[in-house]
Amino acid sequence: MSLIVVAVAMAVLATSCVRKPVTAPQPPSSDLIVLLRDEDTGNLGRASVSTRFGSVTLDSERQVTRLHPNRPPILSGVMSDTEVAESFGDALSALPLPTLRFTLQFRFDSVELTDEARHLALEIVDTVSKRPFPDVTVVGHADTVGPRDTNFVLGMKRADTVRALFLSAGLDPNSISVSSRGETDLRIRTDDATPESRNRRVEVVIR
Amino acid sequence: MTKYKFWIGSVVLVLTCVSPARAEDSAAIGSIRMSSGSAFLSRGDQTIAARVGEPVLEADTIKTGSDGRLGVTLHDDTRLALGPDSELRLERFAFAPADGRLRLVLKIVRGVAAYVSGQIAKLSPDSVRLETPAAIVGVRGTTLVFRVEPE
Repeated sequence: MSLIVVAVAMAVLATSCVRKPVTAPQPPSSDLIVLLRDEDTGNLGRASVSTRFGSVTLDSERQVTRLHPNRPPILSGVMSDTEVAESFGDALSALPLPTLRFTLQFRFDSVELTDEARHLALEIVDTVSKRPFPDVTVVGHADTVGPRDTNFVLGMKRADTVRALFLSAGLDPNSISVSSRGETDLRIRTDDATPESRNRRVEVVIR
Repeated sequence: MTKYKFWIGSVVLVLTCVSPARAEDSAAIGSIRMSSGSAFLSRGDQTIAARVGEPVLEADTIKTGSDGRLGVTLHDDTRLALGPDSELRLERFAFAPADGRLRLVLKIVRGVAAYVSGQIAKLSPDSVRLETPAAIVGVRGTTLVFRVEPE
């Protein structure tokens, strides 16, 4: 009796195992490359796809190249937005937010931000706090007035000022890194000992 | 005396072998900015979990398992992402515009990947090459998505 029960149970198990692999037919094995409009800039670029059998150029939105083994690449029409989302949504949703770069201007020989820069700094804080895992790089710069060493220190002080402002506005200290380039990375090229307001700055990069 | 020279030589040799590891951080070419499910970073024969904030280096491979997704931002603002069961190698990267050194070579080994061009593509489009096992793709500032079947 118990033997029959076991046999039936095994038979049920076996059939359920066999049935499982019934899935949709596999798509034909071909690689796909699709050109998309850049979401943040609205730009549409161009791409050339070459194999040892030939080449094609993609230059319109959602245009598709299909690569079959041992054949030249072919242009294979245009995908709809829905098809793009179905095929590539997982990867597209994993794209990091774009990198943003800001420049904060300082007063002459000073660690004081200009009024305009102060407003911009608060906008930066707002942007950073909306990102899930922000990474903020703060780099201080000086113009060429004064000795190089002093300008390194001045650049560092400026960067520290911005960092302190960010911290007081509630940003996470672990997400902020600070450094100085002194007068070695001028925005506007000048001779030595030249006052230039555009070189007195802190550059902030948000990733 | 010769014996001493030998020992000094060995010590110097050991030190030179050990020191490159320290240069790692400065050699970073970008970082992991998004990670979900099983997502990994391979360097040489080491594989570690790809956590957000983890730096990536030239020649690293990023990959995902069946439930994984991964996003990377490179120092020139290039952005990359992988869907599940995917693999991409950061073959070459040089971003030193002041010295005119610009190079980006990525190899999409398998799976689903998205690429959004950065400054290297803007400054020198011919310096960017995206490879799949079957094709070489040249870009003029753009977003591209790839599906590469496993070989």
